[in-house]
Amino acid sequence: MTESPTGPTPLLEARGLSKDYGDTRAVDSLDLTIAPGEVYCLLGPNGAGKTTTINLFLGFVAPSAGQALVDGLNVSTHDRETKRRLAYIPEQVMLYRNLSGLENLEYFAALGGQGALDRNRLTEILVEAGLERETVGRRVSAYSKGMRQKVGIAIAMAKEADALLLDEPTSGLDPKASNEFSALVERLRGRGVAVLMATHDLFRAKDTGTRVGIMRYGRLVTELSTAEIGHADLERIYLEHMQANGGSP
Amino acid sequence: MAARTILRNEWRLLMADRPLKIVLGLFVILLGYALTNGVLWLRFQERTVEATRTGNAERIHAFEQELEAIENGAEPSSPFADPRSPLVLGGPSGSHTAVLEPGPLTALAVGQSDLLPYYYDVNVYTNESSFQQNGEVENPLNLMVGRFDLAFVVVYLLPLLVLALSFNVLSEEREQGTLALTLSQPVSARTVVTVKLAFRALLVAGMVLAVSLLGATATGGFGSPGRVLLWSATIVTYALFWFVLAAWVNTLRRSSAWNATVLVGAWLVLVVVLPAAINAAASLLHPLPSRVEMITAQREASNDAVNRRSELLARYLEDHPEMAEGVVADEPGLGALSWAATDAVNRRLEEVTAEHDARRDEQIALVRRYRFLSPAILAQEALLDAAGTGDARFADFQFQVRTFAEQWREFFVPAILAGEQMSARVLHDLPRFRPRDEEPTEVARRATVPLAALGGLLVLVSAGAGIGLGRVRGAD
Repeated sequence: MTESPTGPTPLLEARGLSKDYGDTRAVDSLDLTIAPGEVYCLLGPNGAGKTTTINLFLGFVAPSAGQALVDGLNVSTHDRETKRRLAYIPEQVMLYRNLSGLENLEYFAALGGQGALDRNRLTEILVEAGLERETVGRRVSAYSKGMRQKVGIAIAMAKEADALLLDEPTSGLDPKASNEFSALVERLRGRGVAVLMATHDLFRAKDTGTRVGIMRYGRLVTELSTAEIGHADLERIYLEHMQANGGSP
Repeated sequence: MAARTILRNEWRLLMADRPLKIVLGLFVILLGYALTNGVLWLRFQERTVEATRTGNAERIHAFEQELEAIENGAEPSSPFADPRSPLVLGGPSGSHTAVLEPGPLTALAVGQSDLLPYYYDVNVYTNESSFQQNGEVENPLNLMVGRFDLAFVVVYLLPLLVLALSFNVLSEEREQGTLALTLSQPVSARTVVTVKLAFRALLVAGMVLAVSLLGATATGGFGSPGRVLLWSATIVTYALFWFVLAAWVNTLRRSSAWNATVLVGAWLVLVVVLPAAINAAASLLHPLPSRVEMITAQREASNDAVNRRSELLARYLEDHPEMAEGVVADEPGLGALSWAATDAVNRRLEEVTAEHDARRDEQIALVRRYRFLSPAILAQEALLDAAGTGDARFADFQFQVRTFAEQWREFFVPAILAGEQMSARVLHDLPRFRPRDEEPTEVARRATVPLAALGGLLVLVSAGAGIGLGRVRGAD
């Protein structure tokens, strides 16, 4: 993490970031900064541009205009350097089905630049991520979605990344697993990790996030501090924005 | 670091994939079977070569004994096989067998050695028909069909294994969802695919090369290290061509099923259809004269020559005044008349064969022109050349036999025309066939063309794959 004279550099920053798919503008002039230890939740209906925003930070798609910056580095020109600082948990963590959770973690952790970590240490990370100790050696083909998500979290934890990109990570998880997940995010936040989480879950956004941004038609229509609003306020504001032009939430 | 991580993961995935392990096991069995076939053929050839050598020695020894017996007053065993007659000593019963040693890597590629003769019985009657008896000339189809040897496995089956291992090298990652997680790490799609394919290439090429080197070691192939090197380089280049082609197709962002269909189609076109089409075009555009016509021409020439023996002898002596010494043209012996007829038949045959050869050369030229379209033809050509079982080595052998047959005739024909009788002493002066095998530089020069062309095709698909891989992103 680098420091500027005016304070710490935002770990995640979007400057006039836009992405077009043909005639469709998926992300429209997005300006966004996420500081270390901040959890920013992107809310919005399907097609609002949440996933595209995350893909832009990952370099999975090239921006049509503007810049996505990670720790001050342009993603388009510093692909590897920015990916070293990022961890990513998709909506559905898909792993090598014929390998165990531990083997998957070993692979992705090494690929992420952590070198060959000790197996005991990796097992501890999996357990810390919520996986039961006796399941870490089982093939992933026998894992539930929640267990795969936990391996995904363990991969992110093992990477010790500065920033975490989460694309609807609790989608399809049962309430207990979702709560465990929120607790983990909270722990990572406490370690100074910057988190950008796309989600439909207003309740969890309020509880986990430090700020929320509401997107619609690719534009960031409002930003709120979760400390200043309640659950009901967030829901009301969200619905107001969704219904403003006849859209559905 | 990333490469080592991916390699280790690939090994784990392979170990965890039972069907894949079975396929690889079957391939190893096929390689073993192919090598066994090649070794059996080589041993058969070696026995034949040894038998011809023994035959040559035994014939000379038998003639020597009989001639010495006759010189000591005994009668010939048969008045029709009197060894004192140059037509007998230099004829079929006194033939010298000219033989080509098996190619240094015959055990790996039988090639043309089961199609083209590797020994000829040379005598004064040896003519163009002697060389046409097993005259299956090389063409793509004949190159493709042959014994189940290592070259066959490499040219036909290796691409299928390569495609089975790599048709979904990227599409599977995309379909099972691991691509996004992988490419969210500081590693490029190009590195991931390159290392994954390198692992598979090491596995496949390693298996084929290991069996090849085992075969070469067991059969003395390492006496020609240049050929072993050429063989290995061809296998690696050919295998890489198919791996990289698979990578290219994978970058087109289609499903694994689509990739499989396209790649098997490519195999069908490049390995089966194209060579067959080139062969068909060669046969259609430059058809070889009928073999029946050739035999008929031979018989007609033979009959005509017999009817005009005296006239032919006079013409022969006119054409070859150096042979006229000692021949009384007004009273020619039976041998001289017979030889005149033989020479006339030979000349007629040469005319017919020349036409055949011209057409064959046109066919070969056409095949050579279009061989660059098919990596299979190029690989086959380079492999057979490396093994010493390609058509060029056999053509060179035939050329040497023709020269030797000429020497044989020059030795016996004056005696035939003069009606001389041979003695046992002459056996020590008989021409001997001393084969000259092709020089390594000659093989290298010849094989450079198909190998370079194969390399060119590899560069072409690599460029396509490289560009395609540069465009792969995790969100595909």
